Amino acid sequence: MTIGMPRSLQGRLALRLAALFVAGAVALVGFLAWRAYDTADSLSDRELSLRADDLARYVTPDGSGGARLALPKSLQDAYSDPANGDIFAIRDARGRLVGAVPPAFGKTVQQWAPTGDHAAYLHFSGVGEGGADYYGLGLTVDSAAGPLSVWVARAAGANALVHSFLEEFVFDIAWVIPLFMLLALAVAVFAIRSTLKPMREVSQAAGSIGPANTSARLPTAGLPSEVVPLVGAVNRALERLEQGFALQRQFTANAAHELRTPLAIVTVALDSIETGAELEKLKGDVARMNRLVEQLLSVARLDAVALDVSAEVDLNQPAKDVVASLAPWAVAQNRAIGLSAADKPVLVRGNGYAIADAVRNLVENAVVHAPPGSEVTVAVHDDGRISVTDHGTGVAQPDRERIFERFWRGLATRSHGAGLGLPIVAEIMKAHGGQVTVGDAPEAGAIFTLEFAPARAAPPAGGRG
Amino acid sequence: MRLLVVEDEARIAEIVRAALSRDGFAVDVIGLCADAREALANTPYDAAILDLGLPDGDGLKLLRELRGKGNGLPVLVLTARDAVEHRVAGLDAGADDYLVKPFAMAELVARTKALLRRPGGALGTTLKAGNVALDTIGRDARCRTQTLELTRRETAILEHLMRRAGRVVPKAVLEDKLYGIDEELESNAIPVHVHHLRRKLLDNSATVEIHTVRGVGYLLVEGEA
Repeated sequence: MTIGMPRSLQGRLALRLAALFVAGAVALVGFLAWRAYDTADSLSDRELSLRADDLARYVTPDGSGGARLALPKSLQDAYSDPANGDIFAIRDARGRLVGAVPPAFGKTVQQWAPTGDHAAYLHFSGVGEGGADYYGLGLTVDSAAGPLSVWVARAAGANALVHSFLEEFVFDIAWVIPLFMLLALAVAVFAIRSTLKPMREVSQAAGSIGPANTSARLPTAGLPSEVVPLVGAVNRALERLEQGFALQRQFTANAAHELRTPLAIVTVALDSIETGAELEKLKGDVARMNRLVEQLLSVARLDAVALDVSAEVDLNQPAKDVVASLAPWAVAQNRAIGLSAADKPVLVRGNGYAIADAVRNLVENAVVHAPPGSEVTVAVHDDGRISVTDHGTGVAQPDRERIFERFWRGLATRSHGAGLGLPIVAEIMKAHGGQVTVGDAPEAGAIFTLEFAPARAAPPAGGRG
Repeated sequence: MRLLVVEDEARIAEIVRAALSRDGFAVDVIGLCADAREALANTPYDAAILDLGLPDGDGLKLLRELRGKGNGLPVLVLTARDAVEHRVAGLDAGADDYLVKPFAMAELVARTKALLRRPGGALGTTLKAGNVALDTIGRDARCRTQTLELTRRETAILEHLMRRAGRVVPKAVLEDKLYGIDEELESNAIPVHVHHLRRKLLDNSATVEIHTVRGVGYLLVEGEA
């Protein structure tokens, strides 16, 4: 039950960042709004207290121990419209009302206790026609006539401008914040993608490594330093694997090479002994061992080096060479070999020796499986194919894939070979970007076909089609 | 006839010597390049069998030196199969033939004889295969003591097949050889001549057989003598 959590590192990072950004945006907008209102409140508090100070400046002693308010013209105008503006009331230290606008506010204030050291908030429900609500504060201010209790308030509507500024900020400016967060998220996702790009490249490099190219290593350039140790460890593992592979190949090559000389000795020694029934069997055994050793060497060679398949080869040539070189051997086995060459050169990109090796393996195989007196036919086709047909028992359907696997030996082939010939053919064809297939010959028997990509149409890179 | 075998593997050298001796050759076996160089300078050999991998040097270098001096001695090179390019290099250096190790002794003897049967070779004047003998100067072919009544073209075909007994002679090569005789060669001329030649050999109980390698050429095989 992993709901919604994507599997990719990129997806996970993006999802978490998105959640973080949304939470961040909400918190930031909320905080800003709260701060804005708070600031607005304290701004208006501060303004009111300044106003109280202002008013107190115009309070002077009246000579009889009381106080008198003498507002200049400008201030009188400012307080002339209490319905929409500001109101105030001032009492002297003895509690007598010094001045109030409107007078109704003065009356109300007369019933209040004098102000304390700290400003106290007040709410005054309006008087007269307007009936507006007033909010303000009462505070004690020093003046020429001693400490005064001053109440200043402002009609609720008078703060509309400030609040509209605030609303404008929250609703016109603050919405930019989520947008900005969204933009930041996009940038972050892009950054994640580009940061992970080297890792995708490393994955691709890793994906291409197989037994054929064990020398490949994963690139560490451009990788995040956290990932470098992992890639380094993988590279070291590849190193050890390659050494294992190399050791195994080296062993195959060395073993086959070392076996060759004593086998050559046994081969020529058997030839020099006078004939006998047992001797002929021994010769057959040694011939098989020779073939096995040669095939092991072929396999080791194919494994060890990439085949150079860049030359232009006329398929008629290797076919003809192989038929000519194997004909004496086939005749000695009481089998014939025939060649049906193409009328014109059939050019492919490839390695002539390797192609000859492939054809040789197929012909040897066919001669071994052909009935005495029959002909093994090698045919070169105009479309870049070489086929080898025999009149033997053929290859059973279920075995057709497996005969190209190393050391696989079908029941029918139990007495011949080590099961390396056809795998060698398959590998040579793979190196040529082609393939080897097996089917039923028109008459009884098997037909093996080497399919090449013709060189005429496709230049060196030479894929099929 | 005297042959030089340059081979450092003592057992192989020993067996090769024994086999060639049994066929009537005098054989000198040498295991080092330096010794071979000296032997070639002092002894008139009829042919040499040269192993390429020698302890003190490359057999190909020796061969190049030999050819550089204008020495036309027939040379058969022994080489390992995995060095396919070496086969070509060997022929470029002037080898007349090559044999891939491991080889069958009979093959080595047959190839050696084929070298000697070349025109100008020690066996080049009278060719022998099975119970058939061909005097290349007198143009006279015999089966045991019986003269085979062959036409000029049949004799020419038999000569080339016998010079390369045991190996496939491409049809094109035979056509080239007959061109001097038949100015205008018909496409089925060779098969017809071979057919007649085969018939004549059979009628005279010859122990050689001519096999057709369809699409490539012909192959003369020595049967049981």
